[in-house]
Amino acid sequence: MSKFIDRLLDPDSRREEGQPQVNLRRLPSAIGWIAIILVIGIYLATGIYTIGPSEEGLVKRFGAYVGTVDPGLHYHLPAPFESVVAINILEVRKVEIGFRTVSPAPNARYQTVETEALMLTGDGNITHVEIAVQYRVKDATMLAFNLINSGEIVKQAAEATLREQVATRTLDETLTGLRDTIGIDVMTALQGFLDSYETGIAIDNVQLQTVKPPSEVVAAFDDVNSALQDKEKLINEASRYALDLVPRARGQAQEITNQAEAYKQTRILGSEGDVARFVEVLSKYELGPEVTRIRLYIETMEQILPSMDKIILSEQTDGLLKLLNLDTAGGGQ
Amino acid sequence: MKPLIAFLIVVVIAMIGYNLFTFSVDETQKAALLQFGEIVRIIEDPGLHFKIPFIQAVTYLEDRVINYDIQPLDVYTADQKRLAIDNYAIWRVGDPQRFIESTGGRLNNAQGRIDEIVFSDLRNILAGHTLDEIVSEKRSDYLQQVTELSREKLADFGIVLIDVRIIRADLPTEIEQAVFERMRSERLRIAAQLRAEGEEQAREITSSADKEVEIILATALKDAERVRGEGDAQALEIYAEAYNQDPDFYRFWRTLESYQVALASDTQIVLSSDSDYLRFIESMFDK
Repeated sequence: MSKFIDRLLDPDSRREEGQPQVNLRRLPSAIGWIAIILVIGIYLATGIYTIGPSEEGLVKRFGAYVGTVDPGLHYHLPAPFESVVAINILEVRKVEIGFRTVSPAPNARYQTVETEALMLTGDGNITHVEIAVQYRVKDATMLAFNLINSGEIVKQAAEATLREQVATRTLDETLTGLRDTIGIDVMTALQGFLDSYETGIAIDNVQLQTVKPPSEVVAAFDDVNSALQDKEKLINEASRYALDLVPRARGQAQEITNQAEAYKQTRILGSEGDVARFVEVLSKYELGPEVTRIRLYIETMEQILPSMDKIILSEQTDGLLKLLNLDTAGGGQ
Repeated sequence: MKPLIAFLIVVVIAMIGYNLFTFSVDETQKAALLQFGEIVRIIEDPGLHFKIPFIQAVTYLEDRVINYDIQPLDVYTADQKRLAIDNYAIWRVGDPQRFIESTGGRLNNAQGRIDEIVFSDLRNILAGHTLDEIVSEKRSDYLQQVTELSREKLADFGIVLIDVRIIRADLPTEIEQAVFERMRSERLRIAAQLRAEGEEQAREITSSADKEVEIILATALKDAERVRGEGDAQALEIYAEAYNQDPDFYRFWRTLESYQVALASDTQIVLSSDSDYLRFIESMFDK
């Protein structure tokens, strides 16, 4: 084994193969060289590095930036000549204002940080806003060489920007329709600040998590909501009353109208009936008026007189002497 | 043996030489070369630089943007309201020479200066404005003024003040409670108003329904009377038309008809024997 190494290291050894004592004398030197080559090899190997798939590698030579390398296996001159800073440029980082994620999804739990979340509105009220800012690295050299703590600077700037934006709005604007514009405006302004600080950070989005009245006054705000419900309820009940009442009245009106119509028709038809009989009789009456009159007269007398108590007074008997009770007379016979 | 030792000696000399005669400045740094405590050279470019060993020493300075969260301070506004203001300053080392001369190159000292200067400028500017103005959109302008004032002063310390912003402006607890109280009463007022409006609309709806019902019924009754009248009128017309053909006969006919109804049974009647009907009885007696 040592022979082999010896030969490898010393080309002369082949010529002097017959003198093994020479080889033995050179052995410590050979071990020294092997050690040095090993050390140099290990030293040089420290320059091997990998850049992850979402990273960018910034290569510095004596501290000065010389270039950027893409993901993969790379080599740089070992320290102190060159060094590499790997920056994750794809990772979306997150800053939370007004709350903290206690445990991530699933079963996410959040904790509110009131001192961050409470802020003054433009109309002198206080509102509770929680936002999450997501950002990415857009310029790795700026981020690496210009910033000490990117998360902290984004958080401070975001908090300041959020408060400035909320201060331009009224309380109702933050709670209702215009609330979504807060996120957009914060994003625009925040990006402006971060660019002016030369941070190399791009804001992906600003999500409005929770916007609500402060917990101290939440009961009063809830009361407004319940008042709104009460109002709706009163109106609905009134509408129901109206919807129930009016059709019934219309029905009743129709009934009255129909009854009147029935009366009218009854009267007309009744009169027509009465008249029809008279007209019929009249047409025949004209054939012999005198005779018909007598006949009708006598027929009527026949119908009505039998059931009446009758007292007949004679003209010629001078007063009541010749009174004749026909019924009694009849009964007496 | 000799080449091995020679090699090792070369390596060691190179290492010592590197450390003695050169120094490297990182992208995140600036450096100043001091000779017996005096600045002889400022290095702004990163990379490898040379120095004279033992005589010259290197002081490194931070060349990155520093965000400094200034201690919260109380500010009185023009309308005598107290605000607890927490702000931050974004700064970096601008002029290394001045920076080292005035702060000894120490960040803590520099931030102490920033504290003092930004404090006083912020206090002065905000004291000229009311609370409402400070929490309004004008805040950015005031902060711009503070930034510019402080920037000018801090330039003397070799500090570049990039920006000053208010992270938080909190009202003192007692004023905060007053604000909450006001918000609460305002909401209760709105709630009361909403309920009253509900009552208003409900009453409007019910009463207009009641009104409509009464109008519908009255209209129906009015129309009904008219219809009845029409019926009566038409009947009258029919009767009149028919009976006018022979009024005399009608009188006779109708009278006879009414006898049948009016002269019901159990009526006592006194008949004269010379009435039309009994005329013949008289003549019978006479015979």
